[in-house]
Amino acid sequence: MSKIDTSKFNLRDRFGDWWDGTNAAQRAMFRVVMIVTVYALPFINNPIIDTPDTSFNSVLFYPLVMFSLMAVGLNVVVGKSGILDLGYVAFFAIGAYTHAIMSLHTPLNFWEIIPFAMGFAMLAGVILGLPALRLRGDYLAIITLGFGEIVRIVAINTDAIGGAMGITDIPGPTSFFGVEFTVMDPRPYYWLTLTLMLLVIWGVIRLSHRKPGRAWEAIREDEDVAEFMGVATLKYKLWAFIIGGAVGGLAGAVYASQIRSIQPELFTLNLSIMILACVVFGGMGNIWGVIVGAVLLGYIPEKLRFLSDYRIIFFGLLMVVMMNIRPNGLIPRKKREHVREKQI
Amino acid sequence: MTRKLLEIKDINVKFGGVTALNNVNLHVNEGEIAALIGPNGAGKTTVFNIVTGYYTPTSGEVVLDGESISGLRPYKIARKGLGRTFQNIRLFGDMTAAENVATAADSLNKSGLVGALFGVPRSRRDEKESMEKAHELLRFIGLDHRAGQMAKNLPYGDQRRLEIARALALNPKVLLLDEPAAGFNPQEKVELGELIRKIRDRGFAVLLIEHDMSLVMKISDRVSVLDFGQKIAEGKPEEIQNSQRVIDAYLGVAEDAS
Repeated sequence: MSKIDTSKFNLRDRFGDWWDGTNAAQRAMFRVVMIVTVYALPFINNPIIDTPDTSFNSVLFYPLVMFSLMAVGLNVVVGKSGILDLGYVAFFAIGAYTHAIMSLHTPLNFWEIIPFAMGFAMLAGVILGLPALRLRGDYLAIITLGFGEIVRIVAINTDAIGGAMGITDIPGPTSFFGVEFTVMDPRPYYWLTLTLMLLVIWGVIRLSHRKPGRAWEAIREDEDVAEFMGVATLKYKLWAFIIGGAVGGLAGAVYASQIRSIQPELFTLNLSIMILACVVFGGMGNIWGVIVGAVLLGYIPEKLRFLSDYRIIFFGLLMVVMMNIRPNGLIPRKKREHVREKQI
Repeated sequence: MTRKLLEIKDINVKFGGVTALNNVNLHVNEGEIAALIGPNGAGKTTVFNIVTGYYTPTSGEVVLDGESISGLRPYKIARKGLGRTFQNIRLFGDMTAAENVATAADSLNKSGLVGALFGVPRSRRDEKESMEKAHELLRFIGLDHRAGQMAKNLPYGDQRRLEIARALALNPKVLLLDEPAAGFNPQEKVELGELIRKIRDRGFAVLLIEHDMSLVMKISDRVSVLDFGQKIAEGKPEEIQNSQRVIDAYLGVAEDAS
């Protein structure tokens, strides 16, 4: 396929130019409008964006915002630090099972379990990372893939957590400032996940602009050189795993609380690959890119549901075309340069 | 007596059956520019990889400012005060020039990830210090106008100098330069020589690997020569220039017909 000139639809740079020209008040305004818009999405009954064969509100919760949250988490590992993780679903599963088990066997409610769900996922990140992160590239990818499968297969074979039948009758979150979480209405879950995602984005952006972000990027660019420049590479790779794991665990707990029954077969390799596809499709290392990627990859199969099973073919075709036009993703990582010419 | 900042003691390195370094002893004194020369494949870069902890020697010891650094991880050695550049430029291409330098500067502070997340005062202060140091070093090296550009988009010569700035951000006791003049034109070589002297005058000792003899002879205080993993000569530049052994190593010796 011949190379297509993409410069003319470089919206990223146009947006960047516009953004650089704005003042603080305009930026605050823009942020508020964007945030209000995404929170208001369940109220927009627009036939163009609606998904005719599924409830749009359900689609908003799963897959859209759920994929986005997980993609933001996985992006820290894959996009920022350059570690290919093919077993991200394991953290999602650990979070889901933590909520399922603890909500049934302890007096704790959803909100109190969240820290445990994240904590256990982080612990899993350490247990996997300490030995595995000494490897690199393909070898590391295979280990993470194995880890994802191990967690699922252990769940299938452990009767204490329901085996292949999984766990049913999982309680949902208790009401929160008057917001009731019911089985019928997915909107509160959408708003909850969106809020959690905004918090995660805030944290990830903070880290990205500071020492940890530079350390991760240095590791991604050249791990040996990062080490020669005094970067504790193993420590920062482990942190990337822990943070990615925590976000995955968080997503899993919310997911389990919404669908109320979980089985090991919900946590297959396919989901890991799907989230990875969101990251790559959207633009590795760019937080807004991966969100756009997650939203599109979650949305398109739902929109194409009228094609029934053929939709997957169209979906695959679309990805092939996209990756040819924009191999670095929809919104690539490339930072905008601020060039100041030398004064002579 | 001058203080030895870096000492390489009886280093042997074997890769399988190949002896890369054979009982090599080298040192760098405080405030000097020491040069390491030798024909291709003599083991010069291996010396750097031993000193920086990338390879473990088969036997021998490396001492930095009176403290043994053998067996330490490369990042710990770097933090103790050893900066290096690379024969083939290895910058963090997708990061800006300032970020490249700041990454190395970061490693000297103890701010952690949790502090950065919550913006604790120490993290803010360290962040500011790293960026200020990065810009100060870029000014020193003459690249401050490139601070916001991606490293991979810099011209070749600027990339080489950026590597030096990045290594200097570690406050190295000894700066290891691996063929910094490779690919430079004569004018750039002269400027580089001045820069290396300026670095020495700032209080950094320099160990230089270089093939450009005029540069080496002009700026170095002491020259060591490696050939087939062995040190064959050491001395002032003029002594080395006149040493028959060194000339033989570079030009080869005619086979004796008898």
